[in-house]
This record gives sequence, structure tokens and C-alpha cells, in this order.
Amino acid sequence: MALRGVWQLQKLVVSYCNWGGSSRGIRAFMETELPAFQEKNPQLEIVPELIRGQHPHLKAFYKNKNQRVVCVKNMTPDDILLHATRLRNALGRKVVKLKTRHVTKHPSVQGTWSTALKF
Amino acid sequence: MATRRFLRALCRHAAAGADLVSLRRHFGAVTSIRSRSIIRPAIEQEKSLRHRDLWLLSSRRFCSVKTPEDDDMEDEYEEGEGGGDVDEVSDGEMAAGSRPHKREYTPEEKEAEASEIGYKVIGPLERSDRVFKAYEPVFAVVQIGSHQFKLSNRDCIFTERLKFCEVNDKVILNKVLLLGSPAQTIVGRPIVPEASVHAVVEEHALDAKVIIFKKKRRKNYRRTKGHRQELTKLRITDIRGIEKPEIPITKEKPVKVALKQEKVAEAA
Repeated sequence: MALRGVWQLQKLVVSYCNWGGSSRGIRAFMETELPAFQEKNPQLEIVPELIRGQHPHLKAFYKNKNQRVVCVKNMTPDDILLHATRLRNALGRKVVKLKTRHVTKHPSVQGTWSTALKF
Repeated sequence: MATRRFLRALCRHAAAGADLVSLRRHFGAVTSIRSRSIIRPAIEQEKSLRHRDLWLLSSRRFCSVKTPEDDDMEDEYEEGEGGGDVDEVSDGEMAAGSRPHKREYTPEEKEAEASEIGYKVIGPLERSDRVFKAYEPVFAVVQIGSHQFKLSNRDCIFTERLKFCEVNDKVILNKVLLLGSPAQTIVGRPIVPEASVHAVVEEHALDAKVIIFKKKRRKNYRRTKGHRQELTKLRITDIRGIEKPEIPITKEKPVKVALKQEKVAEAA
């Protein structure tokens, strides 16, 4: 997720509970894989947040001021790493069905064909 | 179903080491040709079965996840029955279909080969390279996997997820079918050799969810499945292999500067 070389994900808030069972995976993730993830992405600000009595989630803040929340309750650390990687890989754009797979501002180079055109 | 149960029981007995004669005695007169033809290969194969296969044959399966061996066994012993249950389980994909299989491509050559199938070569990561140029009136028709695109400088493409490249990677697309500019067109047969299109991977994201809904009316059959396709967004930076026309840019700037100076003069 980099628009012209600029990373779009600014902040990743890792919210977890230190008591609940649904946070077991994310607690393990924070011990095992979060430091490596942080080193791989030095441009990213990772903030651990303690929310007691609630299910854990990952909050992503993008440069276009878009937020994405992924609930990671009862997930294994591998799954949480996958979700964190997906959040990092994505632009902050709204998830809408694509109109076209090819986005361009200059559709024609040699001139648009029409029936009146004669070679 | 009864045939399948019968075959399972038969295999269990065969694995346990029973004779043909004792099998026949146990199961009564086996008259159908199909089952007769199955018994012989079953017994023959039993000798060559490994310990694990014997266990597979003899014990009941409580797990709904099918391994490749399980599918092969079913294929052998269910002649003529519809193989609708046998799915191609590749690379140990488990029941959770969205999880990508973690096959480790240890030799880098394998990665290069696999990437050539998708007609891309991974270049090094970007480090303060001036890759994003101004628009040039040159286009190329490129094939990635099974899809073809007409590309120009500075435009974006959504392809199926390219496996071996990370975000902010430089990628070279090798399979160029046509190159064009206002003055010249180069047609490949089928590829233009030594032509390449450079791109940068912008994002790996999931498409919006598509709901696959199946219904058969009056048959009490309804299925709902959600699917999100994994896509890669590539931004095209450079097209090589054709002479690019020179664009006169210098004319625009002095005109703008003159206008600004006039405005400033008027304001003052």
C-alpha cells in the first residue's frame, strides 16, 4: 500500500484485553510476531492499547483519513499477522466493486477511432 | 450409498487380512460384476498398501477434511459413481479456503520460474528513484497471466494477486504483444522480444465481497457464499522497446510566468 512510493497506512492500533480468552491469540501475536512486523515497517506507528473486558481488534488509520477496524477475536497469531499485513498492503480507499480493471487518464495514443476516420 | 457402505466394510475386512473365500462367506453371494471386479484389485492392492493406508481403510473417518490420499482411495473404490465429492486438494489447503497455502519456495529459481508464468520479474525495491515520469504518448499491449491490457505511462491496473512481489516493488512485465506511438507501431509475433514494461506494485488488496447465491426453487435448496478476490494494483512507470516522441514542454512555462507577472503588476 504505497501511492507513488508513499506508504498509506499511518497508524495501527492493536487493542487487546489482558484477561479475556478471545485475546489469547493477539497476546501471543504481540509477544511473537509484532516486534518483527514493527521492524519490517519502520514507517508505521504501532500503538498497543489495553481495553479490558472487550474483544480485541486492529484499527488502521490511513493517510486519506480512512479507518478500518478488523476484529481479531479468537484468532491464531498467524491469522492476526495475515490481517495486519493485509491492512498494511491496502490503500485506504473504500472497498467498492471495481468499475474497470484499467484506470487511465489518456485512453488513446494514436487517436480514437471513429467511422469517419480514413487512413 | 449402500454400495459405498458395502465397499467400506469389504475394504475393512480385506485390510484385516481376510481371504476371498472368507469374504464371500461373510458377504454372501456377490453376484454383481462391478463388486467382483473390485474385490480382486482390492485384495491385490491390500498387499502393497502401507500401514497408513491400512489404517485409513480400516478406521472410520470422522474428520470432514479430505486429504489427497483419501480422495485417491475413494477414486479407486468407487467406480462409476459420480466423483462430485472428490475435490482437487492442492498443496494441503484445509477447510478454510481463504487461507493461502504456505508452500515455501526455497530456491529463488523456482520463484523466478513461477513469476515467468505470470510474465513478471521482480526488481529491487525502490529507493529514491525518479520512476514516476510525465505522461508519454506511447502504449503497449501486455499480457499478465490470462488477461491482456493496453497500457500507457502513469496508468493503473488491477490484476490477480501476483504472488512473489511485495508492495513498493518494481516489476517488469515481459510479455509485450504490441507497442505503439503516434508515429510507429510494432506488432509482436506473438511477443515483441526485448520489449518490457516497468511497473510498481501499489497495493495488494481484496475486492468487494461478491455473494454467490444458489437456489433451486421448490427443492428446499439454498446456498449463500461470500467471495473476495485478491487483487494487485500496478502503476505503470515506463514502456521500453519503442522510440518515444519528444514532447515540447518548454513553451508552456514562459507563458504562465508572463501571465503571473502581469497579474502581479495589475495588483500592484
